[in-house]
Order: sequence, then structure tokens, then C-alpha cells
Amino acid sequence: MFIPRDFSRAAARREWTAALLGPLPDRRWEEMACELFCWQFARVPEFRRLCEGHGVSPATLRSWREIPAMPQQLFKRAKLFAHGDSKAAAIYETSGTTTGEPGRQYLLRTDIYEAVCVAGARRIGLLDHGPEVHFIAASPREAPHSSLSAMFGFWNRAAAKHHGRFWMSAEDFEELRSLLTRTRKPVALCGTAFGFVHFLDSLAGCELPLPRGSWLLETGGFKGRAREIPKPELYAQLARTFRVPDRAIWNEYGMSELSSQAYARGARGLHSTPPWARALVVDPATGREVAPGREGLVRWIDLANVDSVLALQTLDRAQRTSNGFRLIGRLSRTEPRGCSLGVEDLRVARGNRP
Amino acid sequence: MTTRQRIDLLAHAYPRLFPRKELLQLVRDQLGHVDALDCWIARDRVRVRARAPRLIHHVCAGNLAVSAITSIVHGLLLGARNSVKLPSPRDDSTARREIIAFGRSLPRPLRDLVTFTSTRDSSALDRADVVIAFGSDATMAALRAQLHGDQQFIAHGHAVSVLWLADPGRLTAREARACAIDVLTYDQLGCLSPQAIYLSPGADLEVLGRKLARALETEWRRQPQKPARPLGTRARIAEARDVAHALGHRVWLPPSRHLGWTLIHDPDSTFTPSPLHGVIYLRVSPPEKLRENLASVCGRISTVGVTGTSSSARWREAFLDLGVSRFCPAGRMQFPPLSWHHDSRAVLGELVTWIDDEPYD
Repeated sequence: MFIPRDFSRAAARREWTAALLGPLPDRRWEEMACELFCWQFARVPEFRRLCEGHGVSPATLRSWREIPAMPQQLFKRAKLFAHGDSKAAAIYETSGTTTGEPGRQYLLRTDIYEAVCVAGARRIGLLDHGPEVHFIAASPREAPHSSLSAMFGFWNRAAAKHHGRFWMSAEDFEELRSLLTRTRKPVALCGTAFGFVHFLDSLAGCELPLPRGSWLLETGGFKGRAREIPKPELYAQLARTFRVPDRAIWNEYGMSELSSQAYARGARGLHSTPPWARALVVDPATGREVAPGREGLVRWIDLANVDSVLALQTLDRAQRTSNGFRLIGRLSRTEPRGCSLGVEDLRVARGNRP
Repeated sequence: MTTRQRIDLLAHAYPRLFPRKELLQLVRDQLGHVDALDCWIARDRVRVRARAPRLIHHVCAGNLAVSAITSIVHGLLLGARNSVKLPSPRDDSTARREIIAFGRSLPRPLRDLVTFTSTRDSSALDRADVVIAFGSDATMAALRAQLHGDQQFIAHGHAVSVLWLADPGRLTAREARACAIDVLTYDQLGCLSPQAIYLSPGADLEVLGRKLARALETEWRRQPQKPARPLGTRARIAEARDVAHALGHRVWLPPSRHLGWTLIHDPDSTFTPSPLHGVIYLRVSPPEKLRENLASVCGRISTVGVTGTSSSARWREAFLDLGVSRFCPAGRMQFPPLSWHHDSRAVLGELVTWIDDEPYD
């Protein structure tokens, strides 16, 4: 049983961040996971009850793999915050596309989030080659509750050479196009899949070759959007339009409920997590990892997620591989229910009422 | 072929599912006379004769076969030709397989009256006198938009069902078992499957929960074929359990934690749909609050399965106000009689038209 540090103290958070970004051999990882588990077990009542429901407590925990994972849905139904009534410096909201209610992630401070999202991008070389970065997304000021905008804002601050810009509107796209046409140095374009589709639309089929060494980063999918393009098709379009190789297109897999992100290269790339976070592909019925090659759901254990819960159960389908996982997509909420009314139907029916 | 001959063929092929006596009774109740489709029947001073639709187009839902099969049988009883749009093949296409198997097992003269299609057959839809459809509201709206004015459309859209324990403090083991049968039959997938158990306040929930849990486990073990649990289903059951644990709700699980059933006491009495597959919510509501607690599904409640006798008629009135179309004893929710007014409709009566022959004197 671990006596956890007080994660509300700035010094403790600094120490923790340094430990996350330092060498993390398995044993150290295990210790840190158990320490954070003990802290959150004592501080987040919903997490404690979930663990008790699974018969897991600080006294019985033998391995980080036994830590029960909080369903993502809980972020919509409860305030999962380890600091009681303290004021949160940031509240990041999910899109709320599934049930109509957004989930909320409360951060006491954004210090750890900023450190790990920048370090996560750096360790795969995204911010180190000095490209001019452009974000096809709302700026943190325009979208203060978007964790993605916040992350892009932190990246922007970290990319010391060139301060990037945020582009969202049709007028913005016109200006961005003109700017990219003139540029001779490598650039990076980061945005949601949906943002990219809009930008491609604005180009009306014209190519916009980017200088050698440029890269793209796509994230966020098409949550709740009427128009969807399959990932391979989108990547092919991006590669064709910007004349970049498939390997220069990155996918960032993250979510508002987490502090860390996984990255994959190219349309069929495998996702890998940074050292301070691990993603298991589990069978939801048992909570145990599936065998390599088999399909399950992604479960995150994120040591940077100190202010809510470290273990998150997603509804994202993935195939476990020997050195990562291949993301397949979100589990459909629309299984065949026929005439039997479900949550989605009820929401639609409510929406249709005067 | 006469109606009686068709009844004989059906009853001979499926004596348990469609007993002859019940089929005769159904036609008699709905059309006034068993031979109403075959000859003139005297009614007061007028002779009448029923005319069956020539072609009925059935659009089946992917969740359950039983409603589609019953619908086809209604068409066959009338001697209509039946074109059947099968559910699309998906992860779990049990319903589709069962409907096809039923079609193949029909006696030859009846089999000739049924054709199956996997894809949307706009020509069959266009030619049909009557279209009977099962599925989501979105499916109903899409079909309605394709029909022309003189076609009859019978839409069985979204619906839910609930159990009502009128006297939960005195729930017997037999009644608990009846509730378990309702929950677990067809893996809770039909609109007749209860998605919640409502009960009047005052009962010891711990005792009641244990009783129901025991019955659910017994019934689960009794079921010869355990339904398949694909990844999505496993995920939803696990999610429902974990959410309930985290919110501090009382959760009863099978001793071995298998995924056959899950009983959750939700302290919020407002109806929310269950993820199905054996996940059932226990909600307390005084009868006078039922209207409010089930307001979100007003007009969409198909069946209320009832246990216990209560002198109070308030709960019944409340459910009637909510538009409920059927009350039945617990344990029988999934097995309505053939004469059941599905979605408050006369299942044969609404399909036929009538010819009058008035006296000449």
C-alpha cells in the first residue's frame, strides 16, 4: 500500500511531471500507477465505488493491470475531480455527440497536461524540426473548453521558432491557401479530420504542394458530423493534395478525459503511447487483455491524468498488435434494436417533440 | 384455397405456435366469421364479404423474428401474397436466419404465397396494397415517404415495455420467476421485453433484489440456448454495470459474474432505456408519479406486465394515460395471444376491406 503525495501541491506536481518525463522502467511505472491509484481511490468517490464493485482497493491491488477503468460515460454523469471543492483551472468538454450531454474533465492546473502533450509530440519529432505550424481548429481563446485547442495552444507556445496560427473560417482558409502557396519552408498542418475536409473543399480539387519535410496531423474524426470520409480515403486525398507521403500524415488519438495521446503514422499505422501512458486492448467482459491479433476495446492507464482518474475504459475498438494497437473505430451505438426503443432513439424522439 | 384450408395447413405445420383453435378464433373475432373471405355472410339485413389485400409487403426488423413471422402468418390467413424484406445481414443475423427458416418450412401451397428479398424491393413496395413494417421511427418515416396515397401503411415503430410490481413487498418466488422470464426471453430484444421494473414504494429493496436476482439466475440457467454476446454487447453490459457501481447504485450480479443478466436499482425513477441483453433497472415510483416518470415514453409503451393484486386502480389509470396498449400478467409479456391488438390495432381486421350486398326487396 502506497502513501501518495499530495497532488494538489505545485511542488508535488512538478516532481511527478519530472518523473513522468524521465526514465520509466516497469517497476517505477508500477509504483507510480499504484501511488496515483491510491490518491484517486481516496479522493474520487465514484472511482472508489467502481473499484469496490470490482473488489479492488489499495490494500488488495497487486498490479496496475487490476485497476478498474472508469467508463467514459461517467464523465457525463458525475464530476470526477480529485480535489473536492477546489477551483479547476480548466474544464475540458467532450463533444457530447453520443448522448447529447458533454463529458467534462476538470484540471486543477494545466501544468501536467501542457508538459505531457508537448513532450508527447516532441518525442515523435513533431515539434523539433522547426516547421511553421498551422492549426485548422478554433484557438484556445475561441474554444476554452476544448482540450484539443488547448493542446494546439501548448504546442504553439512550445514551437519557439514560429508561432503558428489558428484557421477556421472560409476567409481564413483563403488566406491560409495563399500563405501556403508562397511558402518555401516546411510547414505542419494540424487539425480535426472534419477541419481538413473543409479546407480540402475550399481548395476545390486544386493541389497545394507543400515543401519537402512538411507534415500533417489529423485528429478527432468526424464526431457528430453529417459528412464522413473513410480514413484511407481522407489520407489519400491529403497526400494527393499536399503532395506529402502517407508517412508524413500523423494521427493523434486522444480525448478530453485524458491528458496523454497516442500517435500513428499513415493511414494504416499502429498507435503507440508515450512511456507514461499505456493502452491495453481488453475484453470488456473480463477487463483482461485480448490475445495479440484479437479485437477488443481500448483501455487507457494514463499517469498524467492525476486530477480525475488514471484508468479510462473507452468504446474504441482496436486490434492488439505485438507493439501497439490498430485503432478500428468507435463502437456503434446503433446495434439492431428494431422496434425496441434505445437511448439514441429516445433522444431523437425528444428532439422531435415541440 | 379457403380460409379453413389455410388454417388447417398452418395449424398442422406449427401446432404449438399457431394452434388451430386459436387461429379459428382469431379469424372469427377479427372478421366476424371464419368464412367471411370465402362467401357472403349475413350481417343484420345485409350480406357482407371480406376482401383480402392482394399483396402485403412486410419490412422486418433485425432484432427479432417472431414479429415478422406473426405478420406473415396474418397475411397467409387472409390468402394474400406476401413479399418479405429481410433484415440486412449484420453481426448477429439470427432474426434473419429464423425468418428464412420459417419461410422454408411453410407447407407448399402457403410457401408459394411468400417471397423473400434481401434488398429494398421498390417494385414490391410500390405494388403492395398494404405495407407492414417493424423497426425504428426513422425506418417508418423513410418508408412512409415512398408510399402512394391508396396504400395502407401499418407502422410498428419504437416501443418499450415495463413490469409493474403492484405489491412488491409480497412478491412470491413464482412471480419473481415470471418477471425473470419476461426479462430474459428473446434476450430482452423486442418491444414486448421489459426495460425496467417499476414498483410502488415501501418494499425492502434488498430483499426484493435478492429474490429477483435468484429468479434471474435460475431462469438463465434454464435457458437451453444462451444468446451470443458480441464485443459491442459485452461492452454495453460491462459499461452499465460499471456506471452503476460508480454512481453508488445497488447492483445484483450473477454469482459467476457472467453476462446473462444484470439487475440495477436506479434511484432516479425517470425512465431511461436499458442497454438490453438482460440488463434490467429497478425503479420505485408511487402510482401517482408514473405519468411523470414515464413521460419520455408516453405513447410508446406497448405492454405492462403486472404482478400482485392491488385494490388501487391508480397505477392502471396512470398507464392508460400514458397510452399503454396491453396489460398482462408477468411471465406472459413475450407471449401475447394471437388475438392481441398489436399496437392497439386489429391485426386482421385492419387489413381487409368489405363488400356489401344490400337486399333488393
